[in-house]
Amino acid sequence: MPRVFDVRGLVKSYGSVRAVDGVSFSVERGELYGLLGPNGAGKTTTMSMLSGLLPPDEGRILFDGMDLASKPLEVRAALGIVPQEPALYENLSARENLSFWGGLYGLSGGTLRGAVDRVLDLVGLADRARDPVKTYSGGMKRRVNLALGLVHGPRAVLMDEPTVGIDPQGRLNVLDAVRQVAASGTTVIYTTHYLDEAETLCDRIAIMDHGKILAEGTLDQLKRRVGGRDVITVRGAHDLTPLLPKIDAMPGVTVASAEAGKLVIAVEGSGRGAVELLSAVLATGVPIDGISIQPPSLNTLFLNLTGRELRD
Amino acid sequence: MRLVAHLVLKDLKRKARSPFPFVAVLLLPVIFAGMIALAFGRGDEVPKVALLVANEDGGLIGNAVASALASPRAARFFDVTAVTETKGRELMEKGSASALLSIPAGFTRDVLDGKPVVLRLVRNPSQGILPEIAEQSAGALVDLLEGARRLLAEPLARLRPLLSGEGDAGPADADIVAIALAATRSVRETSGLIFPPAIALDSELFGGASTKAAGKHGGTTSAIFLLVLPGVAVYELFLVADLGMRDVVTERTLGTLRRQLAGPLTDETLVLAKAVYTGLLATVAIVVLAIVGWAALREPVSVAGFALVSVALVLAVAGTTSVVYGFAKTERAAATLGSALFLAMGFLGGGFFRIESLPRAVRGFAPLTPLYWGTQGYRALLEHGAGCAEVSRHAGVLAGMGVGLLALGMLGLRRTARAATTS
Repeated sequence: MPRVFDVRGLVKSYGSVRAVDGVSFSVERGELYGLLGPNGAGKTTTMSMLSGLLPPDEGRILFDGMDLASKPLEVRAALGIVPQEPALYENLSARENLSFWGGLYGLSGGTLRGAVDRVLDLVGLADRARDPVKTYSGGMKRRVNLALGLVHGPRAVLMDEPTVGIDPQGRLNVLDAVRQVAASGTTVIYTTHYLDEAETLCDRIAIMDHGKILAEGTLDQLKRRVGGRDVITVRGAHDLTPLLPKIDAMPGVTVASAEAGKLVIAVEGSGRGAVELLSAVLATGVPIDGISIQPPSLNTLFLNLTGRELRD
Repeated sequence: MRLVAHLVLKDLKRKARSPFPFVAVLLLPVIFAGMIALAFGRGDEVPKVALLVANEDGGLIGNAVASALASPRAARFFDVTAVTETKGRELMEKGSASALLSIPAGFTRDVLDGKPVVLRLVRNPSQGILPEIAEQSAGALVDLLEGARRLLAEPLARLRPLLSGEGDAGPADADIVAIALAATRSVRETSGLIFPPAIALDSELFGGASTKAAGKHGGTTSAIFLLVLPGVAVYELFLVADLGMRDVVTERTLGTLRRQLAGPLTDETLVLAKAVYTGLLATVAIVVLAIVGWAALREPVSVAGFALVSVALVLAVAGTTSVVYGFAKTERAAATLGSALFLAMGFLGGGFFRIESLPRAVRGFAPLTPLYWGTQGYRALLEHGAGCAEVSRHAGVLAGMGVGLLALGMLGLRRTARAATTS
């Protein structure tokens, strides 16, 4: 499959903070590629560089073989953008908003009207298309926001957390529309910090934290990286560090992180290892407030990689 | 150009959907015109100040004051009725007059003795600006009298015994000749100082409107419109342009600026479109102002001259506001800076009153402001019937300022637009 995006060694710093630190990946035509990570991981900065809004300090972005740095207008004309916060003209209707954005990308006449009708149907707003956007609910505005990024029929769409702050029904509508866009052969790069979105939507996922891609692959490939290890989180009101030497000495056990009141441990052996570990922990007599066991998943992978849960 | 037109059309559509701020600014001169019309009537008829004069003095100078107000020249502005103090107050209570001027008993004697004297003016606040005109006129008259009293001190001193009846016989011919000679000499020596203020009575009456202007347009309403309408109109254009250019910052806040710049659009195109949009708003405002001005003044004006000044003015207001919004860091800072700048230009540039009323030191700054050139250009067209050639200097300076400021402002606005992509 031809590569639509070929990203190499992207770096972007704000002062002394390296928001994006050497990110490289490639996305193939028609692929739905997810960037998964907590807030502040560097996803939005990466998206800003991909959309040509933000010049990277280092690195190179190729889109369909064109260098974004040397042909920014050509690349941007072929891209669709769905920003995190809806960027709409609230006193215009959805149809007028869409007509404006479609016209900006060179559509006109019947082609424009057809494109507007198509995306209004896609996001389920055809019946409210003539109402001013200011009369819409938050979820409806999100759907218009999504439609604006699609109206001109882009070759690739960059969607930056399009479901943040949206009600459950609205979220389902947006996710359904994203699936349809991907099914139509449009390449999608989708950032999220929701595990379930990444797991259910994306063909491939890159896990980001602190400006770096920690792991990348299909859902199955990523789960295999976790291996058969469960992740056990032990919480207690007291310092749990006295447990560390004993736990470290146990076979098949890795301490992912240890901080006051919380201990994250990866255990091999699918169930049996976890039981042995817990028995050993309880035998020490250290007061424990709670224990959770998570089977292998993207979250456990993230825990393994960073020592933190994604929702932290 | 297609993209610029597309962007401008979108902005006009948005403005049409939320027109209140624009209409409110547009209404400023219309409201102003309405207020003036309510205060003075339509303007073709000269409204006169109904002035009651209670002359309790009856002496030479008291009578001279009363006569001066009833003279043919003053009769253009005053309808004087001689009354007693009691009758005058009665009429004032009924609201039948604009003002009551009381000349106290012993006024002539006190003037001749060099004692302080007071002419009392009671104004009727229900008659709009007319009593203010009476007050200004009376003030001018008092100044004139005071000047004359100082100037003619010597002849008046000689006149004192004759008028007060001291001495048995009437004045001898020699005394009359001596007094006349002394008065003539004093007046001749200082006529250059005395008469300009006396001639300036007209301009004092109407805040500085020249006799020529008043003569051309023939009415108080027209004179007041001429005084304030051009300045208020030009000031309003700055406010309209401010609304247009502010949209750059508004779109930055909405996130639409960033979204547009993620499309096939350069920051130059986007900023140019905002400048064109601002210019179009200002043009609409000028058309409205032209209609208001025509309705208020009904004076033939050189259309080509008006168009020339207006086009240059549109450039200047777009340039000024682009600098304000290009270099202010936030929308609030830009709004504050803009308001302060436009108000300062309104005062310094002679927008709200004639430039001649300003102190000489301040007057020197006026030509530095585009508001001055716009106001002076429109005044030249309206007051003096100027044509293209006469206002070409005004238009040239405005256009020069506009192009320079626009070039500077575009740099700032491009920076603002680029900043939106990184926020």
